[in-house]
Amino acid sequence: MATEIKLPRLGQGMESGTIVKWLKNEGEPVKKGEPLYELDTDKVTQEVESDASGVLLKIAVQEGEVPVGQTVAVIGEQGEEVSLSVEQPTDGGAPASAEKPAEAPEREPERERGREASARAEADASDTKPQAATDGRIKASPLARRIARERGIDLAQLRGTGPEGRIVAEDVERAEAAAPAAEAAPAPVAAGEVEVLPLTSIRKTIARRLTEAWTVPVFQLTIDVDMERAVALREQLVARAGDGAKPTLSDVLTKVCASALMRHRALNAHFSEEGIQRFPTANVGIAVAAPQGLVVPVIKNAESLTIQQIANARADVVGRARDNKLRTEDLSGGTFTISNLGMFGVQQFVAVLNPPQAAILAIGSVEERPAVRDGEIVPRPLMTVTLTCDHRTVDGADGARFLEDVKAFLEEPGLAL
Amino acid sequence: MPELTYREAVRDALATAMRDDADVFLMGEDIAEMGGSMGVTHGLVDEFGPERVRNTPISEMAIVGAGIGAAMQGMRPVVEIMYEDFLTLSTEQIVNQAAKHRYMSGGQLKVPLTIRTQGGAGWSPGAQHAQQLEAWFVHIPGLKVVFPSTPSDVRGMLWSAIYDDNPVIVFEHRLLYPVKEEVPEKLEPIPFGKARTHREGEDVTVIATGPMVHRSLEAAEEAERNGISVEVIDPRSLQPLDEDAIVESVKKTNRAVVTHEAITRMGFGAEVASVIQYQAFDWLDAPIERVGAKFAPLAFAPVMEQFLVPGPEDVLQGIYRTVGRNGD
Repeated sequence: MATEIKLPRLGQGMESGTIVKWLKNEGEPVKKGEPLYELDTDKVTQEVESDASGVLLKIAVQEGEVPVGQTVAVIGEQGEEVSLSVEQPTDGGAPASAEKPAEAPEREPERERGREASARAEADASDTKPQAATDGRIKASPLARRIARERGIDLAQLRGTGPEGRIVAEDVERAEAAAPAAEAAPAPVAAGEVEVLPLTSIRKTIARRLTEAWTVPVFQLTIDVDMERAVALREQLVARAGDGAKPTLSDVLTKVCASALMRHRALNAHFSEEGIQRFPTANVGIAVAAPQGLVVPVIKNAESLTIQQIANARADVVGRARDNKLRTEDLSGGTFTISNLGMFGVQQFVAVLNPPQAAILAIGSVEERPAVRDGEIVPRPLMTVTLTCDHRTVDGADGARFLEDVKAFLEEPGLAL
Repeated sequence: MPELTYREAVRDALATAMRDDADVFLMGEDIAEMGGSMGVTHGLVDEFGPERVRNTPISEMAIVGAGIGAAMQGMRPVVEIMYEDFLTLSTEQIVNQAAKHRYMSGGQLKVPLTIRTQGGAGWSPGAQHAQQLEAWFVHIPGLKVVFPSTPSDVRGMLWSAIYDDNPVIVFEHRLLYPVKEEVPEKLEPIPFGKARTHREGEDVTVIATGPMVHRSLEAAEEAERNGISVEVIDPRSLQPLDEDAIVESVKKTNRAVVTHEAITRMGFGAEVASVIQYQAFDWLDAPIERVGAKFAPLAFAPVMEQFLVPGPEDVLQGIYRTVGRNGD
């Protein structure tokens, strides 16, 4: 009996994924648990393991975006007949429907004429998938094709909203309106020099999440911290690291923030329409500039880890982020985020909130700056940190008290115990 | 402007032509004292006498054959076939004689014959008295075929049919006879091959004939309430066909629904769809929808008849499909 392999839901809120590459060919034997294909979700690219053993009889979707629950392949016994007659979900755009088993949607009887046959032939009539994903043939109306041809728009980049995912004129016009700059860019830059990078899943996610963040009412609080003792602490830890990863100042900050978050639960929170969720553990996200774009792996339960343990966990996750080998679980569950640009010499900056988290801390560089101590101007190793808070969740005084503790713990690490 | 029913408009065109022109005369079953089975020729025998309003035996072949003979001899006969279903009995005369003589005589003979007939469902006439057979005759070179849908159209087009030197079949529809419309004071001929735009719109063009014109206008009103702007065009004459008007409209709206009461399969709408796809291919934003009767003999039972024959709702669904809506 052949098994249909459906696109799994790999994380909360995942509605679709983009198949990047198959790791097995049709006709090859596959064991349950073996990596079957590479999937690009809005968070990571990862290998998806086979749920069944047998022979990969049919790859239904070679590459491209697929809604959760859609059949992507069939595994069965050698020589077994494969019929992908089961209709694929056609309304995969709605999150609710993604959970449904792939039941045959009822067709209007009036549409029988010819329509059904062609829809079945393509067996992937999802109106959520970019047309590039279909096996070479892009469904588009003649008018849409003409407009695209005349205006130099690539239909493969568009998503069809017409019946059965067909690209109609409106889709082409909308795409053109969405990219007026490219279209209208006047001559000073020769067209050949403009490099257009297609939006990857991760880039789209960054765009969507940060645009979303922009709608949140935020405020910022800035404080200077004397880092003499924290730097000394870090040096002691490095000396003791042994085979472990060398702790960095970021690791010290992770620990300090986790301790402060346990004392200021208002900041260890998510905002949602249902209510503010306050979390019992500090899962601290660390913004990492990976080659494919910004990712925020999460150090879970940072409040109960030693700085050395944090360093080890951080080294592992950051290493994998750089190698594009993160798993969905590495990125989920964050309750607070730290973004450190100090290593680039940035003195101070404002981070954009990472919703639904209530706060994010932006870390500047540690540098010798003049400070007044006992009426004297003296050089001190100072660091400026800026806390961005979601004002729907956190009030100014909550944020200030948190920062006060962060400062105290860094200046006198013993207080964090 | 006077308001006439479709029935009165036909009668007015016939009477006006007969007053003007002694060559015009009528033949048909029970058209004199009885006024025809649909009452269209009622009263004409009183004005023009039995010589010019002639009852015939029940032989459609003879009626059309006699009409062809008279036409070739210089008369302008208008013959009535009571139900278009009965055209089958006169098909030899229409297809092999009337349509061919002008061509086969190298233009020496003309057949200025008008054949009036009617049909259509909607009143439970059963399988043998309600067919819509216009497509059969549009297929024959040498014939002109018209299907006027309003009183002013039938008045002006019947006039043009009488004065056309070729055989013309005028299809009337049973349910259209009571339809009223203001008509020009003085009868104005309406040339063939000119479509009439009943309603202008931006999103979808409905090309409708006969009773479907009225059903489409109803559907268009409903669609408008749902934010879809519908253009309704009636070609009026099926042969010759005003391809330009249809193509031009579809180029504007980018979507088309073709509808007639005749059975969809192999119907006249297939030809219209073909014209559109060929001449406006690059303007189409959706498949052309076709709305017609289901492929079955017409049922007596009213509910079954209603099921088979397209109504405004069917046109509306067609409109919705072209714009990618489910139509609920």
